[in-house]
Amino acid sequence: MSKTLLEIEDLYARVGEKEIIKGFNLTINEGEVHAIMGPNGAGKSTLSYVLAGKPGYEVTSGSIKFKGKNLLAMSTEERAREGVFLCMQYPVEIPGVPSSTFMKHSVNAIRKHQNLPELDTMEFIKILREEGRKLGLDNEMIKRPVNVGFSGGEKKRLETLQMAILKPALSILDEADSGLDIDALKVVAEGVNALRDGKRSFLVITHYQRLLNYIVPDYVHVFADGHIVKSGDKNLALELEEKGYAEFVREK
Amino acid sequence: MAGLVQNIDLALPDLPILRYWRNRGLKAFEAQGVPTAKTEAWRYTKPRDLNSDDFILSVTLPIITKSEQTQKIPFACYPIIFENGILYSKISEMPSGLCIMPLIDALFMDIETQEQMGIHLDVENYPFAALNTYYLNQGVYIYVDSNVELERPIVLINHSSVGPENLFFNIHNLIVLKKGAKAEFVEYYNYSGAVKSRYFANIVNEIFIEKDAELNHYKVQNEAFKANHVALNMVSVKEGGNYNGFCLQKGANIGRNETKVLLKEKNASARVDAAYIMNGWATLDTTTDIEHLAEETCSEQLVKGVIGGDARGVFQGKIHIAPKAVKTSGKQLHKALLLSDGAEIDVKPELEIFADDVKCSHGAASGELDEEQLFYMQSRGIDREEARQLLIDAYLDEVISRLQNDEISEWIRSLIKENQSIIG
Repeated sequence: MSKTLLEIEDLYARVGEKEIIKGFNLTINEGEVHAIMGPNGAGKSTLSYVLAGKPGYEVTSGSIKFKGKNLLAMSTEERAREGVFLCMQYPVEIPGVPSSTFMKHSVNAIRKHQNLPELDTMEFIKILREEGRKLGLDNEMIKRPVNVGFSGGEKKRLETLQMAILKPALSILDEADSGLDIDALKVVAEGVNALRDGKRSFLVITHYQRLLNYIVPDYVHVFADGHIVKSGDKNLALELEEKGYAEFVREK
Repeated sequence: MAGLVQNIDLALPDLPILRYWRNRGLKAFEAQGVPTAKTEAWRYTKPRDLNSDDFILSVTLPIITKSEQTQKIPFACYPIIFENGILYSKISEMPSGLCIMPLIDALFMDIETQEQMGIHLDVENYPFAALNTYYLNQGVYIYVDSNVELERPIVLINHSSVGPENLFFNIHNLIVLKKGAKAEFVEYYNYSGAVKSRYFANIVNEIFIEKDAELNHYKVQNEAFKANHVALNMVSVKEGGNYNGFCLQKGANIGRNETKVLLKEKNASARVDAAYIMNGWATLDTTTDIEHLAEETCSEQLVKGVIGGDARGVFQGKIHIAPKAVKTSGKQLHKALLLSDGAEIDVKPELEIFADDVKCSHGAASGELDEEQLFYMQSRGIDREEARQLLIDAYLDEVISRLQNDEISEWIRSLIKENQSIIG
């Protein structure tokens, strides 16, 4: 039996005064791909920010264990170093910081945490170029400031590139398909699939079933009103595609 | 020990030109005094420490070797080394077309230099430049002959190694680029050791850029944390000439770099950029005054600062367009990043436009570090301090990346990082 990676128990969380996550439970084992689907406004993105530790997202009760450790006690950067990666729906632009510089700092912060020697610029650039090529990101783009002037597809490719380089234990993909054409979507999916090695796990948050044609999940959960209302296998996603979320929203 | 005006022996007391300037300087300083809160040009920067009466005029060279100083410059250059405001007597070999000598030697030998000295320097309006000419003694004359393009930058280093006493020194340079000449001039003010004195570096540069000549001027002010550094750059540019100025300030308690540019003839242009980074209690002041005196002249300024602690950034930028200066353009932008509640910036843009058909713009903005950007970087494992550092460097880099010499811009980037501990 595979080991438990992430264990969320009876989680309640709020943003400002508004309670958004209400009694959420989820366990993800090593090597599993879970999809969370739900209507817009159900709190899917809130869940991803709570996992990443974004300031302003306050957990009021419940627990999250990651590799058996209390995730909620860790800072954002500690979570990332432990292996939590949030592939963002809207990655920010960082003018003046070249993507390559940013990623080098990121890789070395994580390597340092793992007691691995830091990569020098030459070694790093080599890896970056190799992985970049697979994702259709040329050297010129990698030198440009983080996400500045990138199209929606290019931003997602850069997110995927970071995921490919950092090789996180848990990747959370927050609406990874939003605003993507089919080619870009395939690139993102291939990036994810390349990392699927029976050890790494994925939490794919999405409104549409489309992405799940390319990243086939082991489990699908329906998320509405702050918690999971139904779980199943990949066929549940197809069902939702057909029937929509009406039945779950009505529960409110 | 005494106040800023002292009676000391200076070289060549009987040379008429020196006597003239020293007398005029004294009179002008006595008429103005140390600026107070009522002095409009110094409204935001209050050099209170300069009222104290414990200054010692720097007159002798301490023992530190010249090579130690040149080693700090990571690119080939023509070095000019000062120690506590005193020039090392020997200046290294120079290529043909370049002449560097002590300013008072040039004034002693050359009538033309005498005539050029102070043409634009109305010391009656600049108290510290007045004081500087009262002590006219130290400084160099730099002459680049017609159509000579220097292969290396000229680098003037002043190193402060003062002990507990509050040294006071004045450097006055006169720089002439003849027709079509091209040169780069770097000034680097630094210190070593635990310098805790309130020493005072008072600098004047007179810069003459003749027809079609071009000067790239880079300055780094990294004085010790209690020091005072006041500089005036008086620049004149003739037809088709170009002045590219940049100043990084990251040291001193009171640091002021003031640049006045006279665009005297058609097609003269100037860029006067600056960057500053500071915390603690310091005030860093960037003051510019660009005078468009002829048609089709062009100026541009980008000034960016990062301020933390209880420090204060000051930007005063004046653009004056004379009645006949039609078809000119003047652009000015100041931006600052405030890292703490105690940080402050004071900005005073002034446009005086007396001509039609001109393009002028000015702007100012201030903000804080972007939490979304910080979160994004932290979510990739980068710790918050390091993420802040990356964002701060990136903020200033918008200015640094405009510099024309890659070796110099790399060096300046490394100086920005050196001993930097900006805490919000």
